Amino acid sequence: MAKTTPLVGKEFVSGFRLQTEWATLIAAAFFFGKIGSGLFLMSLFINSWVGALVGLLIVLIGKGGAHLLYLGRPERFWRGLTKPGTSWVARGFWAMMIMMVSGTIYLFSPIGSTASSVFAVIAGISAFVVAIYDGFLMNSSPSIPLWNTAMMPVLCLFYSLLGGTTLTLFLIEFGFAEVAVETIFLSNMEIVLLLTNLIIMILYLLSMANATAAAKESLRLLVRGTFALPFYVLALGIGLVFTLLMSYFVGTHGGAGVVGLITAADLVGHYFLFYLLLRVGVYKPVLGQLTM
Amino acid sequence: MHLGMVIDLKRCVGCQACTIACKAENGTPPEVLFTKVLEQVAGEYPIVKKKFIPILCNHCDDAPCVRVCPTGATTKREDGIVLVDHKKCIGCRACYVACPYKNRIFLKRGSLKNGYFGKELTPFEKVKYPKWQEGVVLKCTFCVERVDQGLDPSCVQTCPADARIFGDLSNPESKVSRLIRQRGGFQPLSEDNTEPSVYYIE
Repeated sequence: MAKTTPLVGKEFVSGFRLQTEWATLIAAAFFFGKIGSGLFLMSLFINSWVGALVGLLIVLIGKGGAHLLYLGRPERFWRGLTKPGTSWVARGFWAMMIMMVSGTIYLFSPIGSTASSVFAVIAGISAFVVAIYDGFLMNSSPSIPLWNTAMMPVLCLFYSLLGGTTLTLFLIEFGFAEVAVETIFLSNMEIVLLLTNLIIMILYLLSMANATAAAKESLRLLVRGTFALPFYVLALGIGLVFTLLMSYFVGTHGGAGVVGLITAADLVGHYFLFYLLLRVGVYKPVLGQLTM
Repeated sequence: MHLGMVIDLKRCVGCQACTIACKAENGTPPEVLFTKVLEQVAGEYPIVKKKFIPILCNHCDDAPCVRVCPTGATTKREDGIVLVDHKKCIGCRACYVACPYKNRIFLKRGSLKNGYFGKELTPFEKVKYPKWQEGVVLKCTFCVERVDQGLDPSCVQTCPADARIFGDLSNPESKVSRLIRQRGGFQPLSEDNTEPSVYYIE
């Protein structure tokens, strides 16, 4: 007999229900959106033309491609621009379009010209929106309590900045980009961002431990249930702890190979954290728990 | 006018006649159920309580699905019925995720090819399936074609226990309003502030 509310699938039983629609491709779209816009923002900050170009391409091909593959009717994708007044999907789409257009104009304007400065600002603002809008998108709906928290956009922003910093270091170390700041500055910034992300993630999970029953069920799945192993190994272990230790004890002194390893570990952790947060999203039972 | 439904949980016997009536009326493809009856059990043998909970789209007054739709495919009529324009839907499933009641269904590609019996569609399926589109989101319409003719939704008409009552929530003298008033009707997940047009009474 059911003592507590069960986690149910398609059976005709009332209980917590897993979110199943947003998974691999949406996680990929969020991932590419965050690392691409993060790289673009970092490149604006350190004046890296190549970094900005790669950031734009990651957003266009990675994020845009994943969204198109996911849509049930991709041929109608343009309709997604219709309602930015109320829909975060539409706002994100608009931000992405503005980032693409203004970013391209910025890249091909003469350096130091007015056009270059104006479009850098527009592209920077839109890249910032691209970096955080998926946090607002997840936060905006009350349906899944795990996502319905103001910490979600913050988590997205800091993961975006971390991804951008890591990719910038990768581009520098592999000789694809030259920047106006010292590598050690970026290296230290990465360590600070890794620590910040670790703290934010712990705070986020702690806040869920004191949230509603559905949020607690999501948390149980993440830290003790089906998804605990990938969470501890990929999202937390490889993505944050290993990356932090490698960055702190070896860092850029280890050469291109170490930076490549740190970049790969960071990106793996980044993707899997958001993939797992999507997968453990749980809906509340329609009429709550039945009591005697 | 604000159309809505009252579901009497004391009357529901869990026969799923509403589930079948909905499928027959709408001719929905396999795995697509606009309404169904869930079971809920509490307690331990020998003291056990079982409840049947019919669920369907709640046609919320402040519907999150309408808000999050990036294309305007999901709209609310003046009488409160929330509908999806399949020609405008891009299949992003933002509404699916945003619905706190998980009462939306995404029709995958290939769903309309084989029907229930595999190789080819039955004559019934051939008549019913052309109105559906693959790659879009579907949901209960309160049987809008029937309602527009002054009839009750199919699930209401079929219920052998009279557990579903349909009517105008804005009219204080309607049967639904009186039931809500007299028997303390409550909305599902009212804490989400979606103002569902479906009420439950116990």
